[in-house]
Amino acid sequence: MATLGRPIARGGTAEAQRHGVRFPAINWWLVAAIAVFAVGAALPVLQSSATTSRGFDIRAVEQRQAELRGEIAALEAQIATQSSLERIRQRAEAMGLHPAATPVVVTVDVPGPEPARIPAEYLPAAAPTPERPDSWWRSLLKWLPLPE
Amino acid sequence: MAFEAAQRTGRVWLPAAGFGLFGLLVLGRLVQLQVLEHPQFAAKAASEMVASDTLYARRGAILDRNGHPLALTVDTWDVYVSARAWRDETVAVDASETLAAAIGGDAFAIRQQVRDHESGDILVARDVPFDVGRELEKQGVPGVSLLPNIDRAHPEGDLAASIIGFIGADNNGLAGIEAALDSVLGGTPGRAIFERDSAGRPIPLGRYVARQPVPGADVVLTVDRTLQELAERELRKAIEEHKASGGTLIIMDPNTGEILALASEPSFRYSTLDLSRDDQLQLLRNRAITDLYEPGSVMKVITAAAALDAGVVTPNTTYVDTGVAVVAGVPIRNWDYNVYGQQTMTGVLQHSINTGAIFMVERLGAERFHQYLDAFGFGRRTGIELQGETPGIFRRPSDPDWSPVDLATQSFGQAISVTPLQMAVAFAAAINGGKLLEPHVVKGYVLPDGTWRPVAPKVIDQAISPQTSNTLREMLGAVVNPGWYHPANPRFYTAGGKSGTANVPVVNGYNDRQIASFVGFAPLENPRILVMVKLDDNADLQTGTQAAGPVFARVVDEALRYLGVPPDKGPEADR
Repeated sequence: MATLGRPIARGGTAEAQRHGVRFPAINWWLVAAIAVFAVGAALPVLQSSATTSRGFDIRAVEQRQAELRGEIAALEAQIATQSSLERIRQRAEAMGLHPAATPVVVTVDVPGPEPARIPAEYLPAAAPTPERPDSWWRSLLKWLPLPE
Repeated sequence: MAFEAAQRTGRVWLPAAGFGLFGLLVLGRLVQLQVLEHPQFAAKAASEMVASDTLYARRGAILDRNGHPLALTVDTWDVYVSARAWRDETVAVDASETLAAAIGGDAFAIRQQVRDHESGDILVARDVPFDVGRELEKQGVPGVSLLPNIDRAHPEGDLAASIIGFIGADNNGLAGIEAALDSVLGGTPGRAIFERDSAGRPIPLGRYVARQPVPGADVVLTVDRTLQELAERELRKAIEEHKASGGTLIIMDPNTGEILALASEPSFRYSTLDLSRDDQLQLLRNRAITDLYEPGSVMKVITAAAALDAGVVTPNTTYVDTGVAVVAGVPIRNWDYNVYGQQTMTGVLQHSINTGAIFMVERLGAERFHQYLDAFGFGRRTGIELQGETPGIFRRPSDPDWSPVDLATQSFGQAISVTPLQMAVAFAAAINGGKLLEPHVVKGYVLPDGTWRPVAPKVIDQAISPQTSNTLREMLGAVVNPGWYHPANPRFYTAGGKSGTANVPVVNGYNDRQIASFVGFAPLENPRILVMVKLDDNADLQTGTQAAGPVFARVVDEALRYLGVPPDKGPEADR
């Protein structure tokens, strides 16, 4: 067992205190290298994760789009059926209306209303909603050669 | 410590040469695979990794002239069952009962259908409604998978079925407008290419659309659903009343050639259509354009138009009817065996005198008469968009069996075969200022980008002069309104027209069956509609005037009122 040859003064001198606990010098090059390595290793993981996540998002949106198209088509057919001649006749009969036996013609100098045009798929398309801006890290993905 | 010096030996070269040779072989193989045969292997690798899929284009709608849908595309599902998954009886019973409750039908029958197959996916239901299929998908019934499909919905039911037609199991048009404009309605399918994993599943983001599907255009018909309903209703009523085997009713705009309504009976019904039955296949043809008939006395209008236009007669030209005309030694009598004495050409039309028509055609001569028949479009297709149109036929002097009797009988509508549409179009030319128009059932197209592309009226020929046409219109007005009761005289509108009653030709003559028809227009001065009514084989043997005339009058009154045309006669006209 090694022993000190001389006693250490209580409290010690400032010099002694300064040299008593020695911290290793930080090698900033090493830190930088580790950081680059860590980022380099994490980036493909992030990229892969974001890609997969976006892929699933796209599939989900496509599926939803198909569902909505189906619903729209079904609703159009339903509306068309509701406004069919047979349905109008049934409603008219339920209201106690009958076809006019002798027409009464009244000439007016005001043009009649435009007939309703259906289905509504011919209406002008709604203005597109602006896209939400991407988060900063997602915007990094734009630099990658991913398929659109 | 001393080491013994190693002895120089040549054995080391043996493994070195072996390794070197092996290395060269590997290198050579790599060059072969990666350089020389690169394209083949690259393609093979791509085929293993990449698959493609067809993106079906949405089929366009068929609308009436006011935009009311007559045929729409709706999403449906085809339901498949995996035979392997249903090998377990318990699974099969539970799943089939769930399936039967959702799509209808018998669970046992579904199980039997699947049991008939060892493996694979069995189609158990086609075109299941969209919401039902989606509910099934959510339930996750074992062994059941759903593939998207489309079907056509007909909001107006069976209305205009003979015009619209239908699509088959592969979603291609098989009849009517669906078939005639299949490429327009069907659009262009797209193509998606995707990378797949070892199980064949698409890899996320490994998919791209090589070609976007282009949806089909919407077809807007000239047909008005209200007039079509009127035409079908009146035709059915007339067929029932006169015990006819069928018939045709056409309403057209004589100034543009637009078909506003076209009813043909018998015809198929969407609700009862079964293509596996032969008798149903007979119903697919649209008789207004496929079936030929001899028009009978309606043809006298064309004969009179030709004679007036050629200047060989005027409305007041007279001749003496003796009840019979002898042509090439063959006596030809009037339809009612009557003798009318001295008659004008207007009188010939009013009384429908056969000898009067022969008088006119003899003044014209065969060559000129046939030139007029050509100008009126007889013997060739009208050019309507519908499929299966027949051109019609009539005998000419150059034909081997030609006889002067043919010319005489053609003048009053025998020995000439026409389609109902052909007769309507020719009649329209006679009263619209002389223009022979191409009839059309398509008013225009709404392209996928919303662009409206109209179909313009097409004038094929100037059959007669406008003056002749005006004169003829007045003569036909005198037919419908002769000063005494006429069944074809509408209550609220002035009109003109002509009836026809013709026997049905058979080999070497005619049988007792007849075709009764009436073709007319209204209002008289400014015709808005032309109506053609034809009843086939009416068992009550009433004439065209008696059987088809009242139908014409009712259709004119109702159709013009619907079109907003003010009455020009009767108490309403005096207001």
